[in-house]
Amino acid sequence: MANPSLIAGERGADHAPPVARLRDRARPWLYLAPLIIALVVWVYGPLVFTGVLSFMSWNLTAPHPSWLGTANYSRLLHEPQFPHAARNTLVYAVAMLPFATVVPMALAIALWKRPGRVSTVYRTLLFLPVVLAPVATAITWQFLLDPLSGLVNVVAGWFGVGAHNWLGDPSSALYSVLLITSVKVVALNVLLFGAALANLERGLLEAAALDGATEWEITRHIVLPHLRRTVVLLGMLSLVVVWPWIFANVAVLTQGGPSGSTDNVYYRLFTYAFTFFDAGTASAAAVVITGALALVLGLGLLVAGWRRRAIA
Amino acid sequence: MPSPSATRRTVGTVGRHAFLLGAVAIMILPVLWALAASFKTPGGIFDSNPLPSPATLDNYRVATRDFPVWRLLINTIVMAAGVTLLQLLIAVPAAYALVRFPPRAHRVLVALIVITLLVPPQSLIIPLFLTISHLGWRNTFPGLILPQLYGTGLAVILLRDHIRAVPSTVLGAAVLDGARPGEVLRLVLLPLLRPALGAVAILLFITAWNEYLWPSLAAPDIDHATIQPGLGAFLTQEGPEYGPLLAGSMLATLPIVAVYLLASRRVTDAFMHSGLR
Repeated sequence: MANPSLIAGERGADHAPPVARLRDRARPWLYLAPLIIALVVWVYGPLVFTGVLSFMSWNLTAPHPSWLGTANYSRLLHEPQFPHAARNTLVYAVAMLPFATVVPMALAIALWKRPGRVSTVYRTLLFLPVVLAPVATAITWQFLLDPLSGLVNVVAGWFGVGAHNWLGDPSSALYSVLLITSVKVVALNVLLFGAALANLERGLLEAAALDGATEWEITRHIVLPHLRRTVVLLGMLSLVVVWPWIFANVAVLTQGGPSGSTDNVYYRLFTYAFTFFDAGTASAAAVVITGALALVLGLGLLVAGWRRRAIA
Repeated sequence: MPSPSATRRTVGTVGRHAFLLGAVAIMILPVLWALAASFKTPGGIFDSNPLPSPATLDNYRVATRDFPVWRLLINTIVMAAGVTLLQLLIAVPAAYALVRFPPRAHRVLVALIVITLLVPPQSLIIPLFLTISHLGWRNTFPGLILPQLYGTGLAVILLRDHIRAVPSTVLGAAVLDGARPGEVLRLVLLPLLRPALGAVAILLFITAWNEYLWPSLAAPDIDHATIQPGLGAFLTQEGPEYGPLLAGSMLATLPIVAVYLLASRRVTDAFMHSGLR
């Protein structure tokens, strides 16, 4: 437990002379100033800027924006592309959840149960998919999923499954992109679940085993409850962090196609901004995305009863 | 004869290994395929045989001779090191202040920091892009590096938990000896924090190294590009050059794997003491 008098010493005692008291009052802000400036300049400022731009008409190649009102928003809602992309985004997010939580958790527990050299080798190998260059990952899968010579179709052929154009068929393209991306998500989250498990006292399990608990009972009643917070955290975090990976795969492999089947709101935003140079519509999309995400994460935190802990 | 429980345990062990082996094999298969294909001939890459026969180093020669791969790698190192260094320089004093002399409004402040972690970077790129274009910073290192400070919040949150773990009596003793807060930070806390700083630095470096979207917008010019979007150049210049692209990506992945092998424990540690508890 911290000794209050020692902390007081560092914060400055109340009976100090006025100049010293002022200095103590100002000190935290001095240390925090670079951070506050960085976050205002590079996060909060741009967020406000995006909000303002969403009410403007601005072709990025033109010199000046002009006021437009809510036309960008109504355009987003009434064009078929954005609502369609939003539905796809929901499918991506929901289908990605097991790959962010259950699958890596099971792998991490299996690794953790028997620590040692083999587990270390597995863990090292699992880091490789995380760091393989995004473009290389996409191109590799383009070859593996090739309808004619791809390894996936060759293997599927052994089981009597006919050759299929995984990325070219609108019915399978989204799930192909999803599975390609899930490899990275699973690999990263195994490492993160492993980190969470490292804090679990092994003695606890040994005691339970001595008391006659079976392996499954130990997992069910000690390990899983320990990981509950991690599951919630990684599930929600995956809603934020997987999009750059999905984006790279979509940009290289499908460009949102075939017939819009792999499109999503993030790729839409990018298309509005950097293909059509329409900063206004892209900003409106950004506002809608951020708002929806804030709503989902806020509800998630509330449901998990996590609000206090996350910001405490 | 083995007891039923021993049999069950053996089955469990075999099952677990089969599960792990299968899952890990599926996940690293693409990496191994890319590695093998980087040694294939231009024609061989379209074979369904995953092994290179005959194997050749041509792709590596083309990647380093006809494409500016070394240039791209140097740019990436400078960018990732710059982002890491600046984020740490900002985050260390901030995390120190939040733990040791929090201002009255620190709860609000921490909430505002956590929120920045959850803002999707895609919703910031338009203003960030307009800003650096306006400043004439496209295709420059300031343009590549400074906007990535939007991620500094993560370093603050991770370091804050590490600093909290330092017994306050250690720091308090220094205060009693008359050390000023700046001296406590430099002379007492930083040496204690070195392993944590290393771990967080590695994490930030890897994140910046793998950044794709922002560098592709900030530095589209091939001489100023970083390796991740730069690899895309192999796809456009006179038809796709798959072999050299994969060779280039191996060269892009190798440094990171080396960093990880040297410090894999520390990377895991960086998360262990974070909010994942």
